[in-house]
Amino acid sequence: MRKHAERLLLAAVLALGLAWAGPQSAQATNRVTVTGEVIDTWCRVTAIMFAEGSAHYQCAVWCAIGGIPVSIMDEDENVYVILRVGEDDVSAANPTIARIQAHQVTVEGDLIERDGVNYLLVSRIADDQGIVNVTHEDVGIQPFGK
Amino acid sequence: MRHLLPIILALVLAHAQPAQAAKELGIDGEQPSQFEARAVDVLCELTGDCPQDCGGGTRQMGLLTDDGVLILVAKSSTLFAGGVLDLVAWCNRRVEVDGLMIDAEITRFYMVQRLREPGTEKWTRARAFSRDWARANKQKNANRWFRKDPAIRALIEEFGPVGIPGAKIPVE
Repeated sequence: MRKHAERLLLAAVLALGLAWAGPQSAQATNRVTVTGEVIDTWCRVTAIMFAEGSAHYQCAVWCAIGGIPVSIMDEDENVYVILRVGEDDVSAANPTIARIQAHQVTVEGDLIERDGVNYLLVSRIADDQGIVNVTHEDVGIQPFGK
Repeated sequence: MRHLLPIILALVLAHAQPAQAAKELGIDGEQPSQFEARAVDVLCELTGDCPQDCGGGTRQMGLLTDDGVLILVAKSSTLFAGGVLDLVAWCNRRVEVDGLMIDAEITRFYMVQRLREPGTEKWTRARAFSRDWARANKQKNANRWFRKDPAIRALIEEFGPVGIPGAKIPVE
């Protein structure tokens, strides 16, 4: 009787384990150094509005606090979606990441490529030059103005 | 990697049903797309670092299709807001979504516009951010939330609307 109960318990534990929906294994990472502009991923990639540099800073902050992924775009237009900075794994609506919107940065971290997207686990911001892409003088504040 | 995008997109869309109601935005590379998938915490899916509740709204969320394709959800139906709060309610469960697949060549992601329990009729609009923001900020609604949000106002006050303290703002 006791053996039967133990088998039932074992089966239940196995079933729960199989039902657990976590990933099968962690993906391979590549160590990288990325230099580029911190971007509002949605607006920049869709080009739904002007979304470069200082002109779009305000909107980029809105989107970052709104939980839209923040990325880095390098000079070859590779997009790296930031999932972690150091030990901080908050990648949605993180005010610390929002603070560097539109900045020109160099970061070191681990790159994971999956299904057409580059995901970046930033271990260190090696350089932050602030906003160097000064676009507001030509196009004003985009969108909606001040 | 870029040359694989059309293949990946084709795999996903092969299982997608024609969308009846996804609102098109006229974005290059957009495709209305309605399909079932599992809502996942992207960082968990990629690294095995898996808090039980998918991060409770603090981590980017994705959709994992039956073919094992991971789709980043970047946008919801709330203006200037992502889909994290819509998807986290479905953490590690199957959900049917309707929205726009954006294959922009340089990257790809999804805009979720509606969600529902697979096999049921009733859709929920992807506006969890608006609901939660209004509740958290004790407002009747989230109209122009981006002009009122305390965290945003603090950043704009500190750095100015163009991110450069003291910068001259052109008259519009």
